Amino acid sequence: MSTPPAARPWFFNPYVQVVLCILAGTAAEVFLKKGADATHNLPSAVPALGLTGMTSGWTWLSIVFTLLSFFSWMSAIRLLPLGMAFPLTNAVQVLVPLSCWLFLGEGISPKRWCGIVLVVIGLMIVAKPYAKLDERL
Amino acid sequence: MTPWTLFLILTALGTLVAGQLLLKWALNEDEDPAPPRPARQRRALVFAGGILSMTISFFVNLGLLQQHDLSFVFPFQGLSVIMVVACAWLFLKERLTLPLVGGALLITAGVILVSAS
Repeated sequence: MSTPPAARPWFFNPYVQVVLCILAGTAAEVFLKKGADATHNLPSAVPALGLTGMTSGWTWLSIVFTLLSFFSWMSAIRLLPLGMAFPLTNAVQVLVPLSCWLFLGEGISPKRWCGIVLVVIGLMIVAKPYAKLDERL
Repeated sequence: MTPWTLFLILTALGTLVAGQLLLKWALNEDEDPAPPRPARQRRALVFAGGILSMTISFFVNLGLLQQHDLSFVFPFQGLSVIMVVACAWLFLKERLTLPLVGGALLITAGVILVSAS
């Protein structure tokens, strides 16, 4: 008689991992911009690659959060279809402008707010059938 | 926007989508707990290709951020939603549903609106 597979701890639930991926991804983008801003005046042999950005601590912090986001993402797509999980990560599209507004002092125009609302509606439409399926399971 | 900036944005986008597909492909291959050696090597190669592709995307993105606002550069990556959904259906044979396509189109429209503002 085979033993049933051990229950997955809540932390490794693929949806929890998607949320972690989104939060870490948002932090990584904001830190990356701070690193890019801090180094944009430095001379570089290959400006298109932004290698001078590596001299900033903000860029390294961004890399740490990118790696955290990456490992969460790996854990999530191991179980979820890519075509479903990837659109969900676009909650970053809402969180990044909000973070830019909060932490970098960038403005959000009414048009941008409309775009954010459309993204949120799209995310809800994509996530809803899977949330129902998850409830049934 | 200059043609060079557009080229860099498309490069960042293309390498991001390719990286995601390669990583998912490698993870799908991971379902066999004891694969033969050639399958293991192929899986490692595909995984490494995914990492390389996403690394290229990261550095091109960093270069773009040194020249432009984050709120200008980042929304273009939202176009990757529709590209990933379509490529996952085409190459990974994932199921394509009406809510998924509708939601992905709304997200893409929202992202374009955000980037145009």
